Amino acid sequence: MQDSLKNDPEHLGKELWNINALLDKLGLLTTETYIKSKEEIIRRQQEEMLELSTPVVKIWEQIVAVPLIGTLDSARTQTVMENLLQEIVNVSATVAIIDITGVPTVDTLVAQHLIKTVSAARLMGTECIISGIRPQIAQTMIHLGVSFQDITTKATLAEAIKYGLSRIGYRISRIESSKQQ
Amino acid sequence: MERIPILKLGNFLLVSIQVDMHDQLALNLQDELTARIVQDNAKGVLIDISALEVVDSFIGRMLANIASMARILDAETVVVGMRPAVAITMVELGLSLPGVRTALNVEKGIEILNSLVARNTDEYPAE
Repeated sequence: MQDSLKNDPEHLGKELWNINALLDKLGLLTTETYIKSKEEIIRRQQEEMLELSTPVVKIWEQIVAVPLIGTLDSARTQTVMENLLQEIVNVSATVAIIDITGVPTVDTLVAQHLIKTVSAARLMGTECIISGIRPQIAQTMIHLGVSFQDITTKATLAEAIKYGLSRIGYRISRIESSKQQ
Repeated sequence: MERIPILKLGNFLLVSIQVDMHDQLALNLQDELTARIVQDNAKGVLIDISALEVVDSFIGRMLANIASMARILDAETVVVGMRPAVAITMVELGLSLPGVRTALNVEKGIEILNSLVARNTDEYPAE
């Protein structure tokens, strides 16, 4: 092209400019498509994580539990709340346990979300227990001025299950002890 | 005019709200229910809201009011059968009905009432 337009520098410049613009546009398109596909993957994985991360498990005939793992934001709390309440209706649960062993940080917002979930469960006639509050988190919460008043809290999930069973009239006991009697 | 039926169930009154509540209906219910508690000497009130799809702040407050009124008239109140969606909405509205007892269904509500009434009569066995 340089050869054919040797005598017409103005035209040559114009053509070169056009080619530049074309290449730019191609580059931009490639990058945009790449980013879009990446974002799509991230979004899909986020959705999957949201679904996977909030299982509601049935512990006993009237006890359900939600082991929460990862940070709690509004969107996740909403999913947790909906899933939990639906499951409460499905198994007609008397006691619901929210285990926050896997929640790394509890700030005022997360606490607010937890309190909301507990109140919603209470409105449906189910007692909610929060378990698995780590010592560090307990300290932070008190420093932040968040104390779960009127909410039953237990240190471990095992303790919460024990309490839940006692609420519906069961007791965990060792088999040997009944043999000895 | 629309009315909400109040059924007598032994010592208890069962109010099953089947239609969408509007404010006047709620006020009428309050009137009628308090009158019936006195007339029937009821010891407990069950309010079944399992058919209610919308609970606004007024109805929420009315439920709390009914519970307090019933308590003054020596009757315990249990609200039963709230739907998950309604529960979420009410919590978002900031109405967590602190003074109201709740149960999942009528059966469990009656259980709660029975135990409450048994406790109340235990406290005054001289009757």
